[in-house]
Amino acid sequence: MSTAPTTDSLLVEQIRAGKPEAWNQLIAQYEGRLLAFAESRLRGRSAAEDVVQETFVGFLTSLPNYDSRRPLEGYLFSICAHKLTDFLRREGRRPVIPLSSSARDSAGAWDLPGSARHASSILRSGERRSLEAAALVEAVGGEIERWQQRGDWQKMKCIELLFVCGMPNKRVAEQIDLSEQQVANIKFDFLAKLRSLVRKQNLSVDVFPELYVPE
Amino acid sequence: MSRAFTTTELEAYLDEALQPEAMERIEHALRGDDSVVQQLAEINARRDAGVHTLGAIWRRARLSCPSRDQLGSYLLDALPEELADYVRFHLETVGCRYCQANLADLRARLERAGSDREADSRQKRYFQSSAGYLKKREK
Repeated sequence: MSTAPTTDSLLVEQIRAGKPEAWNQLIAQYEGRLLAFAESRLRGRSAAEDVVQETFVGFLTSLPNYDSRRPLEGYLFSICAHKLTDFLRREGRRPVIPLSSSARDSAGAWDLPGSARHASSILRSGERRSLEAAALVEAVGGEIERWQQRGDWQKMKCIELLFVCGMPNKRVAEQIDLSEQQVANIKFDFLAKLRSLVRKQNLSVDVFPELYVPE
Repeated sequence: MSRAFTTTELEAYLDEALQPEAMERIEHALRGDDSVVQQLAEINARRDAGVHTLGAIWRRARLSCPSRDQLGSYLLDALPEELADYVRFHLETVGCRYCQANLADLRARLERAGSDREADSRQKRYFQSSAGYLKKREK
């Protein structure tokens, strides 16, 4: 449902050209939501403001790698989430996980310089992954659009609870007042559609194991 | 053996996408429960190997997030009932932190419309601390 307004691309273009008023405008436009995001986790205004400050600096330093087709808000939130993680690690609140290199994968290109991984392997696998993810985004996005047009909100809620919240069928059924069988049918149809798309696009089934898990 | 957290929950934890209380529960568990550490390490290994999950892709692309305009209309109680019901579900049941942050921002803007001196001075500070990076690019 979220779309990147073209005004964002224009704003970024002006920031790339070094126009301070455009940078000011971006800050005014996005600081409130970034602050609210950071503050919900930190429960302290001044720490949240520090994280947002680092986010804006992170945005400017990563600007050469930013693809303007990517929604600006999502990009800023992803930088903010990583700055938040870094802050919590520094504070000792967030333990470091072994093999945590992928915890930074979602950041896009903005933090690649300085990463401990070999850049060539990251970029190669990153390109392939992006293509696979884009195919899935298109397929799921298409389904969501159809549900919205038909006003099929129940189906949308069902799939979101199953795959985004990871709830088992039984809990989903209780949550949105469907039978377990109805939930299982919706899930079956949805997965079948995605499997068909993966086959059509000649994508490797190995990288989408979730689509092939037997009920 | 039943696990304390589902894979989907831990994926969302790595993406900083769970509700703050749930994030804290996992952080707490990570300090004393090796099986949770192991579970997260397995997820990381799968991610490194290029395995996708629907939940992670859905979250990152924000496939079902209402637009900011829709959130604004929701705040003003101006959405059709069915859409408003879905937005409520997305905010409260799914607990989308990005949309919650947007809503909090919209609410704050609505409340403080008019006197905005504090925000102005904060924004000035952000600008001053980052504009140096902007000028470097100008050359």
